[in-house]
Amino acid sequence: MNRQTLALALAGSLVSAFATTAYAAPLPAEKMVGMEKCYGIALKGQNDCAAGAGTTCAGTSTMDYQANAWKAVPAGTCTSMEVNGHMGMLKPM
Amino acid sequence: MDQSAFAAALLDPSLPLPAGVTCARGEPDATRFSVYRNNVVASLSRALGERFPVVRRLVGDEFFNGMARAFLTVSLPRSPLIFAYGDTFPDFVAGFAPAAALPYLADTARLEANWTRAYHAADATPLPVERLLAIAPERLAGIRLLLHPAVALARSDFAIGTIWQAHQAEVVGSVIVAASESVLVTRPTFDVRVHVVPPADGVFADSVLRGETLGEAAATAFARHPDFDFGHALLGLASLGAFADSPLQGDPA
Repeated sequence: MNRQTLALALAGSLVSAFATTAYAAPLPAEKMVGMEKCYGIALKGQNDCAAGAGTTCAGTSTMDYQANAWKAVPAGTCTSMEVNGHMGMLKPM
Repeated sequence: MDQSAFAAALLDPSLPLPAGVTCARGEPDATRFSVYRNNVVASLSRALGERFPVVRRLVGDEFFNGMARAFLTVSLPRSPLIFAYGDTFPDFVAGFAPAAALPYLADTARLEANWTRAYHAADATPLPVERLLAIAPERLAGIRLLLHPAVALARSDFAIGTIWQAHQAEVVGSVIVAASESVLVTRPTFDVRVHVVPPADGVFADSVLRGETLGEAAATAFARHPDFDFGHALLGLASLGAFADSPLQGDPA
């Protein structure tokens, strides 16, 4: 596809998309918020600030912070995830 | 007091108590330093846990805290803004051997990092979609659209959007993760939006976000997905708020 053909193909595709979707009329910015329903799969999250704290005084002198004696295994919701038909993990630890 | 020795001893309990850490009577005070050392570790671990709540739930608190401690010994905050801590955590997770059995974990962390970055990104007015129609057809292929400050894409061989969504609920059910997903994060106004976009559009968006022209990005997407619909993809990305409003300049070819 040469440059000219590509340009026309892209422009035609864009015009066609405008014509065949609900975007045809110019929309004010505040209306655009709802438009994500028209495209992709909208995922609903909890819209609060995830990272905020980190200034806690949670430490004690007895906490074990040594990472060299690693023996923990993933034990959260990953056990309900299904990978290639197997529950939990892709391969044994 | 030697600050570098103090800083080194904070993260390595095998190092001796830094000189000058004493109680009121002037004797070395190992217990107090230990409390301080643990506060550093505990607070940074907690900050990571709050930035990566889905990863934390996936692996459980014990595993997450251990992983966080391993991370912070190699990557301390580089910014006084605690919400920026953990930008490199997804890469660390990808190389963290004890988590190798969870191949979707690092990409899930990338999505969560994108979410927080979008939340704190600068405000910008999204490009009104009808402006796209005003671009002269012959210039369309050469254009690089200005990206919105909040936009980010995470592409994965696994269903990270579905995983993320499942963890917004209190109870997480079974999720089939062996499905590739491209997840776009935007914040057109105040709320962060998370979307799973079609695979071909994910290829296109990835190219556009890496600074390619619309023509280059379209060619990349066509090559991988012959049924790629350029107009629908561009219109979709713009409507989600991927681009910022700006004068539209053609590439000076």
